Amino acid sequence: MSSEKAAAIVLRAVDFSETSLVITLFTREFGKIGALAKGGRRLKGPFESALDLLALCRIVFLHKTSDTLDLLTEAKLLRRFRPPGKNLLNLYAGYYVAELLDDLTEANDPHPRLFDLADETLAALAAGEPAARRTIRFELGMLQLLGLLPSLDDCAECGNRVPAVGRIAFGLIDGGVLCPACRAGKTGVVSVHAGVLRTMSQLADAEGNAWQRLEIDPRSLGELRGVLNRYLIHLLGKKPKMHEYLGAMSS
Amino acid sequence: MPELTQSVVTLIGEFAKLPGIGRKSAERLTYHVLRVHKNEALALAEAIRAVKENVRYCSACYNLAEEELCDICKDSRRDRDVLCVVEQPRDLIALEQAGVYRGLYHVLLGRIAPLEGINPDQLTIDALVERVRSGRFKEVIMATNPTVEGDGTSLHISNLLGEFPVQITRLARGITTGSVLEFANKEILADAMSGRQKF
Ligand SMILES: [Zn+2]
Ligand SMILES: [Zn+2]
Repeated sequence: MSSEKAAAIVLRAVDFSETSLVITLFTREFGKIGALAKGGRRLKGPFESALDLLALCRIVFLHKTSDTLDLLTEAKLLRRFRPPGKNLLNLYAGYYVAELLDDLTEANDPHPRLFDLADETLAALAAGEPAARRTIRFELGMLQLLGLLPSLDDCAECGNRVPAVGRIAFGLIDGGVLCPACRAGKTGVVSVHAGVLRTMSQLADAEGNAWQRLEIDPRSLGELRGVLNRYLIHLLGKKPKMHEYLGAMSS
Repeated sequence: MPELTQSVVTLIGEFAKLPGIGRKSAERLTYHVLRVHKNEALALAEAIRAVKENVRYCSACYNLAEEELCDICKDSRRDRDVLCVVEQPRDLIALEQAGVYRGLYHVLLGRIAPLEGINPDQLTIDALVERVRSGRFKEVIMATNPTVEGDGTSLHISNLLGEFPVQITRLARGITTGSVLEFANKEILADAMSGRQKF
């Protein structure tokens, strides 16, 4: 058992007793951890009410070697998650970031660049940036960094380049585009416009800010949202809880 | 524990289910019950039974009540122009103990927490909207917890109440009385500044 320091985003906080919380944190250094915060529900003490959902904090914790909960000993609030004004959509987009991080990452599996992407996304949502684009950028960037991005250029089955024209078959189960030969007889296939696939790969590119200058028309955004929703549902084996709340984002 | 009878084991087990009670405390409480006079022990059993059989939610505000309406809703001296919205009965109790509020309450019985599977339709939000629609409230005070989910719940509700001619306010927040500005967290200072009020 060793004392560790980390930057962390609060993914979940569940009451454990009158005073304690069980916290799920996504840390930059250690990946996802579960920790007990004794006294975490009190205003004062070592946590200073830093353990609110989606808060960014500096934490000190005792890392257990067995698979019991780690013990949180200190948390210092760096940034609260508070979208401005009456912006519920950005709030729900923030919840969605937490849901995906919790569902798609494994405990004790660090992904510093994914942490930075989540941090940047939450900061942008809290600053009131439009949720629709930021969310798609996060989803695709996350899939890319976790090695879960569907194949967008080459056939997911045979590896041949699929010509980027017109509408292209996209296999939800196969994890990417399919050439006409491989497409035959497959189930779980949707058709996606070549332009939408191009936009997806630009948004998934983890490097730089080029994606921010992308022009995406509302129709393409809707189509992208649709295929991404279906792919994520297939990947997770269930519909993410926040999809219901984010319905307004696809229009 | 072969030396314990079945009834004793059962009681220890029941006590141990209570929040904050470990195995050792459960045993201590059980031995206490065994030691005291029968009437005293049965008074505890009776009190538990009475709470479960008599206590329900107030049909107007969802506070705990022993009749159709809770004591606050029945009290004719309460100001019926103001409604204070809280998450849980325990929040209402805390506000009552502060002793400065004389209006009515509405208890949501939770907060909107989609990630925990708690959606708006599981709370008493529909009843709240109906109360505001048909009532004569001039002000609705949002007093949910100042957490992300508490604030989100207030925001959802204030959007729903936007169509009615009521003023919607929320509790001020920020620096703890008795502390010093210098040491306040900058996020808390920012909250305090944006929630400032007229002198
Ligand atoms: Zn192929
Ligand atoms: Zn009542």
